[in-house]
Amino acid sequence: MPKLMLKFESTVLREVPVGGRAVMIGRAPDNDIAIDNLAVSNYHARVYTEAGRLVVEDLDSLNGTFVNEMRVERATLQDGDSILIGKHHIVVDEVHDATVPPEAGRKVTAPKVEETMVLDTRERRQMLQVALAAGERSQLSTGRWKMPTLAVLRGRMDQKEYVIANKLTVIGSSEMATVRIRGWLAPGVAAQINQREDGYYLGRAEIVPKVNGQEIQGPTRLQDGDLIEVLPGWLFGIGQVRLNFLFRD
Amino acid sequence: MGIEIGARSDVGRVRSQNEDSYKVLAPLNLFVLSDGMGGESHGEVASALAVETVATHCQEATNSVAVPFYGEPRASLTDKTNRLASAVRLANRKIRGAAQEVAARRGMGTTILAAWVDGPRLSLVHVGDSRAYLLRTGVMEQLTSDHSLVAEQVRRGLLTPQQADASEMQSVLIRALGTNAEVEIDADEHVLLDGDILLLSSDGLTRMVTDPEIASTLLTHSNAQAAADRLVELANEYGGEDNVTAIVVQIRQEPQGLFGYLRRWMRHSAPAST
Repeated sequence: MPKLMLKFESTVLREVPVGGRAVMIGRAPDNDIAIDNLAVSNYHARVYTEAGRLVVEDLDSLNGTFVNEMRVERATLQDGDSILIGKHHIVVDEVHDATVPPEAGRKVTAPKVEETMVLDTRERRQMLQVALAAGERSQLSTGRWKMPTLAVLRGRMDQKEYVIANKLTVIGSSEMATVRIRGWLAPGVAAQINQREDGYYLGRAEIVPKVNGQEIQGPTRLQDGDLIEVLPGWLFGIGQVRLNFLFRD
Repeated sequence: MGIEIGARSDVGRVRSQNEDSYKVLAPLNLFVLSDGMGGESHGEVASALAVETVATHCQEATNSVAVPFYGEPRASLTDKTNRLASAVRLANRKIRGAAQEVAARRGMGTTILAAWVDGPRLSLVHVGDSRAYLLRTGVMEQLTSDHSLVAEQVRRGLLTPQQADASEMQSVLIRALGTNAEVEIDADEHVLLDGDILLLSSDGLTRMVTDPEIASTLLTHSNAQAAADRLVELANEYGGEDNVTAIVVQIRQEPQGLFGYLRRWMRHSAPAST
């Protein structure tokens, strides 16, 4: 099976085999080859087999995909070719076998697709007991029932404090927002909080909010005391919106 | 709000019958997908009944307030989300009834996934392992969690996602419609923004095609129907081991008023933050 070697300067960082499926390359963490560099698009390129030949295809990336110094949209590959993405090189090796097992980090089809079936309640209970015995972390919290609350630290809002009572809580200036920001230029739907089984998750909408100074990467579970920056504001803190997530009695 | 819809279902390359059913109610912006099981043609019966029941119940509830509500509405959910849950409970009852009528239909059941778009708000309910994804600014997020044994094991830290993808137990569900008198339903709500793409799919797609490849397919097809067609083709190119269904919903929201346009201009002219 041919393989791809991800290199930075002269160091080989990873080896990924090319099988029946396309190998996805990009900055998003769910790529087969994830490259954490701003010059790389989220889904930058893919390498796949087409009628026995390896092909690289650029996925409309911002900074382009280069094969042996030439910018390509799509190109067949041969042994020794070097694909340049951002500052990383991906070298094609059709001769040596990949050292990593093909299932590592990849979606592999089950050996056979069986008919779908449903466990009955008794079987399910047994399975879950087995799971519990296997030493899962208990996610149950103890103590008194506390109300999740958003306290306004900064910002022109219609309340000083909001108790999160709904499955979906919208933060923004639009009519659907529960946590209502005043001001014409505030985003209609800035961010959202989803209630899930295991807690409250802050997610992006028109903007990417910060939690404790860090931009969130996807839905983020809120912890007691977290500082949420919804809007950074302009000069002198005008337009800034900051909230404090708390569990209150 | 403008919505572009594409939908396609296919038997795949291995199975002889398509047990997936789907329905797109364009005037309501209601999307329902179901993946049946149970051998012979029973899976098809179950999935068709599920989709039909959910669509009809929601349509009737929109036309008249006198339509009965099944189960208990929850105060933390909107009327539309509660109505979807009611529809799923009714579908469960009907499938169970149909299964008990004929001895050979014992064990028939189905997944259900229903999405109702109401302005900027999405109501989503599901039971089973059919999935909803939301693609926003190039990043795709799975909105549903699979009610399958392997997914439960991953949630409990007993399996890694890679082990789950390679498991032979992928087809074992821990929840489905029609198998128990009472059904536990996942109900959720999300905000929709201009440019968002919503994907509903059966496991025939998500088992054959990786998430990044699904995301890039949605991104590179500006036409919703072309995206749905291409996703089904990809699943078949990779073996098409199960029935495959994809519903692609592209959200186009028009800004309202001068400040709406101004906000949109600010958003689009701002440098990418990720």
